[in-house]
Amino acid sequence: MAADVRATRLGILALVGTLLFGLVGARLWFLQTVEQEALQEKVDTTKLRTVPLLPERGRIFDADGRIVADNERVLTVAVDWQVIRRSDDRAEIFRRLSGWVDVPVEEMEARFDSQVYSPFLPMPIAEDIDERTATAIKERVEDLPGVTIIEDSRRVYPYAPLASHVVGYMGRITAETKDVYREAGYYLNERVGQFGIELSMEEELHGNWGLVTYEVDNGSRIVREVSRTPPINGNDVQLTIDLDQQQYAEQALETQLMRRRLELSTNPKDPETNFQTLVFPDYPREVPFKAPAGAVVVQNNDNGHIIALASYPTFDNRWFESDLSGGKFEEIFPSVDEFGEPIDPDESILVNRAIQGRYNLGSTFKPFTAYAALNTGLMSVNDYYVDGGNYRMTSVPDDQCDAGLVRCVYKNATCSGTGRSCVYGAVDVETALAVSSDAFFYRVGELLMTENDYQPVLQEQVRQFGFGADTGIELPFEFDGTVPDAELKAEYADRGVISESEGAGYYTGDNVQLAIGQGLLSASPLQLAVGYSTIANHGFVMKPEIIRAIYEPGVPDALEPGFADISQARLAVEPNVEGDVVRQISMPQAIHQEINEGLRRVIQGPGTTSDFYHSTTGEKLFYYYPRSAIPIAGKTGTAQGAGNYPWNDSSAFAAYSRDPERPYTVTAYLEKSGYGSQGAGPVVKCMFLQLSGIAPTDPVVLSDPLNTDSEVAAEPKQLADTSCYEGRFSSVRTTE
Amino acid sequence: MATSFLSRKADSGLGNIRASPADPSRNIDWVLMSVQFILTVMGFFVVFSASRTRISEDPYAFATRQVVFSIIAIIVMFFVMAFDYEWWKDRAAFLYGVTLVLLTLLFLLGVAAGEDKISFDLGPFNFQPAELAKFTTLLMLAAYLSGERGEEVSYARFLGGLMIVGAPAVLVIIQPDLGSASVLVSMAMGVLLVAGAKARYIALITFLSIATVMAAFVGRLVNNYQAARIRSLINPAAASADDLYQAENAMRAIGTGGVWGKGWLEGPLTNGRDIPVMWADFPFAAIGEQFGLVGGSVVLGLIAIALVRIWRIAHLARDLLGTYLCAGVFSMLLWQTFQNVAMTMQIMPVTGLPLPFISYGGSGLIVYFAMFGLVQSVHMRRMR
Repeated sequence: MAADVRATRLGILALVGTLLFGLVGARLWFLQTVEQEALQEKVDTTKLRTVPLLPERGRIFDADGRIVADNERVLTVAVDWQVIRRSDDRAEIFRRLSGWVDVPVEEMEARFDSQVYSPFLPMPIAEDIDERTATAIKERVEDLPGVTIIEDSRRVYPYAPLASHVVGYMGRITAETKDVYREAGYYLNERVGQFGIELSMEEELHGNWGLVTYEVDNGSRIVREVSRTPPINGNDVQLTIDLDQQQYAEQALETQLMRRRLELSTNPKDPETNFQTLVFPDYPREVPFKAPAGAVVVQNNDNGHIIALASYPTFDNRWFESDLSGGKFEEIFPSVDEFGEPIDPDESILVNRAIQGRYNLGSTFKPFTAYAALNTGLMSVNDYYVDGGNYRMTSVPDDQCDAGLVRCVYKNATCSGTGRSCVYGAVDVETALAVSSDAFFYRVGELLMTENDYQPVLQEQVRQFGFGADTGIELPFEFDGTVPDAELKAEYADRGVISESEGAGYYTGDNVQLAIGQGLLSASPLQLAVGYSTIANHGFVMKPEIIRAIYEPGVPDALEPGFADISQARLAVEPNVEGDVVRQISMPQAIHQEINEGLRRVIQGPGTTSDFYHSTTGEKLFYYYPRSAIPIAGKTGTAQGAGNYPWNDSSAFAAYSRDPERPYTVTAYLEKSGYGSQGAGPVVKCMFLQLSGIAPTDPVVLSDPLNTDSEVAAEPKQLADTSCYEGRFSSVRTTE
Repeated sequence: MATSFLSRKADSGLGNIRASPADPSRNIDWVLMSVQFILTVMGFFVVFSASRTRISEDPYAFATRQVVFSIIAIIVMFFVMAFDYEWWKDRAAFLYGVTLVLLTLLFLLGVAAGEDKISFDLGPFNFQPAELAKFTTLLMLAAYLSGERGEEVSYARFLGGLMIVGAPAVLVIIQPDLGSASVLVSMAMGVLLVAGAKARYIALITFLSIATVMAAFVGRLVNNYQAARIRSLINPAAASADDLYQAENAMRAIGTGGVWGKGWLEGPLTNGRDIPVMWADFPFAAIGEQFGLVGGSVVLGLIAIALVRIWRIAHLARDLLGTYLCAGVFSMLLWQTFQNVAMTMQIMPVTGLPLPFISYGGSGLIVYFAMFGLVQSVHMRRMR
C-alpha cells in the first residue's frame, strides 16, 4: 500500500474529526454567547413546584358492609393571581367564568378584594362544583388562562347520626398533636381523626401522600410534569358493629330516657319517725327523674365482638364536616351553660359513655362478689345466711360501734310494702343474687377481708374479670375504671377527692360497700359487659373487638346503595374471627351453676318467702318475656347518686344469653333514672327481643342531608314499638 | 527486549549518549502524555464539583476514588507501553476470547438475576467488560486486518473484520448498552476506512448499525431509558418530561456559563440536584457552567491535541498494524468525545457514554490509559 493512499485515508479521518469538533465547538460558542441570556432567564424563572397528592382516606363499613364513612370529591374552581392582577384581564376572566360556575362577577370581585385568600395558592372562585362543569372548564383552558380545578375530598357519613360515637369525627391537627403528625409525614393543614374509629384507626385509614413535581415558569404556570409519586390510599376498615342492632339500641336507649323523664321519684317517709316525716324533708314528696344520659353495650360473648355501642346524648358527626362557625358550634356543642359555668357533665355530648362512663355499678356487681366468695372457698354453694334486714359487722368491737366511731350497721333496701328494710330470711348465694340481698353480700364483704388477713382478696378476684383496667377496645379515651383499695384511697385523698382521714387506710367498711358495688368502685358499661360475658362463657375474659376486618384500599360499592361489596374485598390483615382471650380464669362448673341459677331466677323467678313472698328484682319486668325469645340470665343494679336522693339513683342492668347458639351479652346504664328494673332493665329486655327477632325493628336507611339550620346535635329518634318496655314493675324498693 | 526502555544501558558505544535515538524509551510522545495527564487531573476537579452536593456523607468520595483509579490506570498504561505492540498482537486472539467469554457470562448472569447487567460487582468497584472490549476488539481487528497487505481490503477480509467487531457489539447491545456498542462500531469504521475498505463497505456498516438499533428497539433490547432518550430527541413533544428535564438542565448549565463561567464551585445547576449522574454523564455541563466558553474550549482543545498527536503517530507508524491501532483509538476518542459533549448540548440523544479522562469511572479510565499506552508503544517503536 502506497504511503500516499494511507495518508489520504487518514486525511478522511482527520476531516471527519475536524467536522465533528467544529460542530461541537460552534454549538458551544452559540450556547454560551448567543443563547446565554435567554437560558439564564429560563433558569432564573423556571422553578420546580411540588404538589402533594392526597391519598384517599379509607372507608369504614359496618358488619353488613354498610358504608358508614365515605369520601366525597370536592372540586373547586380557582384562578391564578398572576392572570387577574390587571383589572381588565380580571374583568374578562371573571365574565367568562361567571356563566360556568353560576357565581356573579361582583362576588368574584369581592373575593378578589377580600384579602382572606392565600397569595401563594390560586384564588378560589367557586367551591363544590359538579364534575360536568369541572370538565367543561378544563376543556376550555385556552379561553380561561390560569384557571385550575382543585381536587379535594370531604368525609361523609351516609348513615349519620347512627353510631357517631363509634365512628367518630375528623378535625384539624391541634397544637398538642402537631409534632406527632408532622413526624408521621402529615401536612399540618390536613384533617385527621379526632374521635372514635376515625382517631383510633387513623394510621390504617390515612394512607400515604404522593408527590408530583412540576416545572413552572415565572407566572407560576405549569410548564411540564417532572416526576410523580402516586399516593397510597388508606385501608378500609370494617367494624363488628351491625347498624341494625346499633340503631335499635340507640332508639331503645333514647326512648327509655325520655320515658323516665316523665316518671316521678318518691321522697320516702321515714320509718324512724314512724312515717311522720319525709326522709329528705327539704324536698317535695315527689321529684321527677332527670334521666339525662346513658349507654348500651351489645357484645358477642363467644368472640368478644361488639355488635352495638350506644351512648346518649348523641350527635351527628356530619356537623364536623359542615364548616360550622365558632358560634354555631358552641350553640350545638355547648361547653358552658347560660350562666357561663361549665356545663353539667350529665349533658356532655362528645363522650362515649359506653366506654368512658365512670359508673358505680350497684348490685350488678354482686355476681363478681359471689364469685370471689365461692372461688376463694369462703363459702360453698350450700351455705346459708339468715338475712334479718340489716347487717352488723362482727369484726368491730361493740363499744366502738356503740360510740359511733365506726359505722357498723348496714341496712337492706326498703321494701315498699312495709316501708322498712326488706327481710329475706335464709338465703344462699343463688337466692341472694335472685332477690339481691344486701345483708348477705355485706357479710361476704366483711369476711373476705377478716378471714384473709385483711389482704385485698376481693379486689384480686374481681380484677380478674377486667375491672380496674382498660379492656383494650380499639376506641380512644377508654376509662380504666377503679377497684377501691388502700392505694386508690391514698391517691384520692392526695387529689382531694376524699378527705385525708378517710384516705388514711382501707377499712372493712370499704370492703362491705364494695361487695354490693358501691363506694369508690367505678366501671364503664363496656367493662360490665366484659365481666358478664366472662360468666356467660365459663371464664374466658374476651377482649372487646370492634374491628372485624381491614381491607386493601378500593373495596367497590355494591349494587345496593349505601353498601360496599365486601365479597370483592382483599384483606389487608387477617381478621380475628375467634377473638382474643385476655385471660382464662378459674370457673368450676359448681360456681358457674350457682351464679347462673341466681341470675336466671332474677329474670324468671321465683324469689323467696320470709315474712311474705319477695319476688326477684327482674321477675315482674320479665313477666311477659316470651319463651321463644333468647333465654337469658341477668342482674339489676341501682347506684346511689349524690345525697343518696332516690331521684339520683342510676339504673343498671346486665344480662347474657343462656343459649350458646346466640351468645349475646347486653348491658345498659341509665343515669338518674331509678332502679335497675325501671330504667335499664327494660332497655336490655327490648334489646334481647330485637336480637331474638321478635321486636319490630325499623329498617336502617341512608340518612337525609344534615339540616344545618338545626340547633340540636342530633335529631331525636324513637323506638317504633315501645311495648317491649312493659312488664309488671317490681313492688320492691331495693337498691337491687 | 521489550522492557529495555526501563533499564538504561550504561554504554551504548555512542560516547556520552547513553541510548540510541531509536531506543523506545527515548521516543515517548511527551505532548500526548502531558495532555492526557492534564485532562485526567482536570477530571478530578470536575468530578468533585459535580458530585460533592449529591452525596450526603463524604463530598470527596467520588473524586478520591477517581484519583485511585487514575493511579491504577497509569500502572496499566506503563505496562502496555513496556511491550512492543507486536507482542500484544500475538496475544490479541487470547484477550479477545476472554472478552467474549466475560460478555457472555455477564449476559447469562443478567438473565439469571432477571435484570439488566452491565458490570461485574467486584466489591470496591464495578468492572464493565464492555470497556475491556474496546481495547481487545481493537487489538484483534487491527491484528486481523494487518495480516493482509494491499491497497484495499478484500471483501472476505472485510466480512471477517465485521464479524470480529460484530460479536462483542451484539453482546454489548443486549446488555443493553447501546452507547458502548456505538463506540465499537465507530472504531471499526475508522480502522476499516484506513485499511482501505471501499466506500460501499463503510455504507454497509452504517446500514447494519442502524438496522441493529432498530432491531434492538423492536426486540425490546433497548432499556426504557434509552428508548425514551432517543424518542425525546426525535420528537420532544412525545418525550416524558423527566428525560427532557434532565437533558435540558445540562444544556442550560452550559449556556448560563457564558464566556468566562460562573467560577469554581459557583454553578447553581452544578450544585443543585437537577442533573442526574452529572459526575459520569454530564461532566461537560459542569465545565461549561463553572468555566464557560474558555473552560469548554480548553478541554475540547486538549482532546483535539491528543487526537492530532494520535493521528500523527498513525502516520509515523512503522507498519500497518501500528497505523490501524492508532486509527482505532483516534476513532473511539473522537466519537466518544463528540457523543458526550453533543448530548450535553442537546444535539445528540442522551446515552450513558462517559467523556474520556474527565468522567468518573474506573473501567473507562483504565481502558483509555491502556489504549493510549498502545499508541505510545507505536510511537516509541516507530523507527526500524
